[in-house]
Amino acid sequence: MTADPESLTSVGVDVGTTTTHTIVSRLQVETPPGGAASPEIADREVVFRGPVRETPLLDRETIDVGGVAAFVKRDLEAAGLEPATVDTGAVIVTGETARRENAEPLVHQVAADAGRFVAATAGADLEAVLAGRGSGAAAHAAETGGTVANVDVGGGTTNVAIFEGGSDGRKRGGSRVRETRCLDVGGRLVRFDDDGRIGSISPPAEVLAEALEFPIAVGDEPDGELLAALAEAMADRIVDLLEGPPFDRLTRELAIGELPTEPVSLDGVVFSGGVGLLVDSPPADPFAHGDLGGLLAAALREHERVRSWPVLESAEDLRATVVGAGTESTTLSGRTISIEPDLLPLRNVPVADVGDLADLEESRLRDRLEATVARLRELHDLHDLDAVALAVADVGPLEYERLGSVADALASALEPLPPSLPIVVVVRQNCAKALGQLLERRSDRPLVALDELAVQDGDYLDVGEPISGHDSVPVVVKTLAF
Amino acid sequence: MASDSNPDADAEPPEPTTSDDADRGDEDALRRIADRNPTRLGVGRSGPRPTTEALLEFRADHGVARDAVHSRVSDDLLKEFGLVRLRTRVADTDQYLARPDLGRELDADSLERLERDCEPAPEVQLVVSDGLSSSAVEANVPQLLPALLDGLEARGISVGTPVFVESGRVDVMDAVGEELEADCCVNLIGERPGLRTAESLSAYLVYGPERGSATAKKSVVSNIHDGGLPPVEAGAELVDLIAEMLDAEASGVDLREDDREFRTE
Repeated sequence: MTADPESLTSVGVDVGTTTTHTIVSRLQVETPPGGAASPEIADREVVFRGPVRETPLLDRETIDVGGVAAFVKRDLEAAGLEPATVDTGAVIVTGETARRENAEPLVHQVAADAGRFVAATAGADLEAVLAGRGSGAAAHAAETGGTVANVDVGGGTTNVAIFEGGSDGRKRGGSRVRETRCLDVGGRLVRFDDDGRIGSISPPAEVLAEALEFPIAVGDEPDGELLAALAEAMADRIVDLLEGPPFDRLTRELAIGELPTEPVSLDGVVFSGGVGLLVDSPPADPFAHGDLGGLLAAALREHERVRSWPVLESAEDLRATVVGAGTESTTLSGRTISIEPDLLPLRNVPVADVGDLADLEESRLRDRLEATVARLRELHDLHDLDAVALAVADVGPLEYERLGSVADALASALEPLPPSLPIVVVVRQNCAKALGQLLERRSDRPLVALDELAVQDGDYLDVGEPISGHDSVPVVVKTLAF
Repeated sequence: MASDSNPDADAEPPEPTTSDDADRGDEDALRRIADRNPTRLGVGRSGPRPTTEALLEFRADHGVARDAVHSRVSDDLLKEFGLVRLRTRVADTDQYLARPDLGRELDADSLERLERDCEPAPEVQLVVSDGLSSSAVEANVPQLLPALLDGLEARGISVGTPVFVESGRVDVMDAVGEELEADCCVNLIGERPGLRTAESLSAYLVYGPERGSATAKKSVVSNIHDGGLPPVEAGAELVDLIAEMLDAEASGVDLREDDREFRTE
């Protein structure tokens, strides 16, 4: 662990469709006075920003894993960091890169190389949220209490995260994620060769061109008007994504994952990402990057609807996602927890949510917990895992007898799991130590009980070693959706 | 509460801002801050006085705080957990408030009862005291004590006969522990009630209890109540802390290396 117990060194790496970057940040850990309060990350400072580099590809379908690893290694050296001194952080593969065949081995390797407790992550929704935290959209929502959308327009995808300011998000700077919306629209869907001919067209651009009957093909040398019209069509989809529902058929076709069923009234919109950045400051030559990004940014800037939006300035350049990954992916557990330090760190621990137990009578607790354990066994190959996690939203009243009943039910529900498989119990209420002690008396299996964390079904957890002097462990809640 | 002696506080209110929306915005922000915070923020005023509602709430909370100081811990609670009732040399609440020294020493009857009814030389001696809030004892001990006792038993740590001390100060634990020659003594004591909660309990712990030993020798887990550290979780935390103290044969600043480092910045 770090020599200075008051701060954590965190690394963020973003391997995107177009570019790859690394940042290093310092997370300041403080325990508020008052005895009962848990430590929190009080301040985040980016202390090193690596250069923006083109994501190296071996061919159109394969990322150059060695090339990415070499970039990250070089950046960490430039930052004066040994991987052994890195406390936490996250590597994320984003945009189209996440769909490359070797995305999964890539992200795990880069994460393992960067430090002992650097998380491997992927997924359009997580990408959207990290970009919004990195760009300052989340902080803006927290400060004003308003609803703020971050629109991260990159090379391959557009990821929208909508943040709401509120009173229940203390651990996340006072804002919560209302929803995410993701779309296969980005600046690099069409690439040009050095001679101005179309070098490649990604499938989503083909869908658009076909629907709108734009005649473009690889090898063409299209005129500017046609390209501008294609960029406008892309901008229309981004606008529709933000203003819907109802959504246009094309928007639905290009959407990644689910689209929301209710429209949201926004108090602010922040653009981030490589293309999003250009919305505010257009490049002299729109084709400088050899793709459609410049034109897409221009189309957004000129879009009648976008002009009516309350657009706010981004606090970051195109590195919003990597800043989010480096500074905002780590949370801290409560202070009174029950852990066996030898078990830590744990990586890629799948979470099954047992839900709210508050209304369940004692006799029903076991059924619910057994059903959740059965789901874990069905979904995962347990022999490949560090651990499995059960998330409990609410145990009911924080009474000794109640916790005893929950521990009884848990101990018996866990029986079908291999006896050597560590179990992580995650509760929202401050009761992990009491529940952990009750469980220890009922079960011999390796156990970690953490509290004051909100996790969801399908999430993955990385759990780090305790922060010295704070009796708390760093936790990265993440998705691994390729 | 706002000061009522400063005439400037009643000066002209600031000019209203030009837009109604801006006014509303400020109000919303104030509401959000007030909602996040249990203290009395943005309660408003009527002329130079608090509003009737705010005044009544203040008086009600003050009444709860006074009750916490002046009421007694019920015999039912003591019976439920088999606590031996002892008392200090304090005669009444007024004397308790005025003479802290008398609240640190047991009266003659209690010393006798200690010798007669309590197991000598336990590893851990538990003391419950009303301190400044009987309400804190009533509210937290029923959840805290079972978690603590079961946890200590699971670790094979012997607990003597738990006692309740009426009109006790923190340091009465030194007298109890010394008399019984306990390795370690814990005092669960009601904290000075505030206007937000009158139910906050603290746990003081000392290794090798001795009358007159320095306060720095004591460890503390404070702010135990439903809105702070939940009592059941506090019980579990005390188990770990007691095990650590018995293991290190130390408490207070002697226990935690890092507590001794004072920050110079």
